[in-house]
Amino acid sequence: MEDVQVVAMLVRRCIAGDSAAWEEIVQTYNRRIYNICYRFAGSGDDAEDLTQEVFIKMYRTLSSYDSSKGAFVTWVTTITRNLLVDHFRKTKQDRMTDSMDATTEHEDAQPLSEQIQDQSAPPDAHVRQREVGETVHAALGKLSPELREAVILRDLQDMDYREIANVLKVPEGTVKSRINRGRAELARLLQRTYRQVM
Amino acid sequence: MPEQTSNGMQCHEFDGLLSDALDGLLSGAKLDRFQAHARACPACGPLFAEAEAGRNWLKGLTEVEPPAGLVENILASTTGIASDRLRAPALSTPPRVSWLERVQARFSDAMQPIWATVRQPRFAMSFGMAFFSLSVALSVVGVKPSDLRQISLRPAALRHTYYNTQARVVRYYDNIRLVYEVQSRVRGFKRSLTPAEPGPVKPKDRKNDTSKEPEQKQERNYSQTENNLILACAPLGPSVNDLPVVSVTTYRRFV
Repeated sequence: MEDVQVVAMLVRRCIAGDSAAWEEIVQTYNRRIYNICYRFAGSGDDAEDLTQEVFIKMYRTLSSYDSSKGAFVTWVTTITRNLLVDHFRKTKQDRMTDSMDATTEHEDAQPLSEQIQDQSAPPDAHVRQREVGETVHAALGKLSPELREAVILRDLQDMDYREIANVLKVPEGTVKSRINRGRAELARLLQRTYRQVM
Repeated sequence: MPEQTSNGMQCHEFDGLLSDALDGLLSGAKLDRFQAHARACPACGPLFAEAEAGRNWLKGLTEVEPPAGLVENILASTTGIASDRLRAPALSTPPRVSWLERVQARFSDAMQPIWATVRQPRFAMSFGMAFFSLSVALSVVGVKPSDLRQISLRPAALRHTYYNTQARVVRYYDNIRLVYEVQSRVRGFKRSLTPAEPGPVKPKDRKNDTSKEPEQKQERNYSQTENNLILACAPLGPSVNDLPVVSVTTYRRFV
């Protein structure tokens, strides 16, 4: 995924104050971090804020990165995951007061079952695909954070089990179990939703 | 989850192999045993189907595009510098750079690590605390910024200020109670150590004086001797009683 030497050199340049090197890091990793944040937090605005926070934290702690301990992408993902967990804990109280049918900004404020009714006659395949994607995204947001982060890192970020275990700081067996349970739970949520509209 | 021992596989073993099976890493006898357990077990079979379906749903999700301006916002919030590379249009020829701009660029490159340190919140906090302490110390001492404008830098004035300050410090030092007490004790201690010297002859005690002689006054008017008044400026000749009486009034001028 990344050339260790190149990344190590980039990090050294950053620490020395080279703004071009920092810009290169931001250009390389902003998409990945934004996607993790978006899938975990569920909202585009939250994802944008969280992505900025991740980079601010990275910028401050860049000197603590040790290339001998792991890949840079694992380090970046660990920072992202820790920040997301903090954010989740902070906003837990807000979410508890929300309705179970609360939706993300892309869902037109409708419950999951009502959205799927609208898919019956999509204008074209592209729109349908987008709407299905939004439905899956909404279902992903209903998983517990432990299962959600595991499936995001495995199925959306294509990380291997060992890397995920390093990021989540749990054994590989636990990672596999969480991924299986997360996938199965997601499928059950979507099946239940489809069964309601059929 | 009920444990199954049929087909030589238990449910926890099946759970451990589920990810590998979905990733297509199982083969041979292991795969056969896995599939047989999935068919036979009422809990593990549906679990395998659900996990596969869930994985397929997730694989259908596409990557979302980050909002425009995210990179610029990140750079602005971290380094505080907007990215010129992102904003500048692609130019076919490099712009001419004057020698002054080149020097400035080199200087800014050299100063970049220093500025990076200075921009740290920790440094700003330390600087703020130092400034605050200095201002508090100056106000306690009594130095006002407006007084600094009136300072004369002539050598004579500087010397005068130096001696004034030195005298003020010595006065302050001498007036400290502790110093005074220490000094007086040292003096007393010295006095007790030095041997007693013969002192001056004491005058007679008047109470025990039985000579009946009048006491000689210390002050002596040398202008009077044996009741004869001597006038320093008067010409010799007639006596004092024959001199005309002249009254002299002096007027002091009050300025």
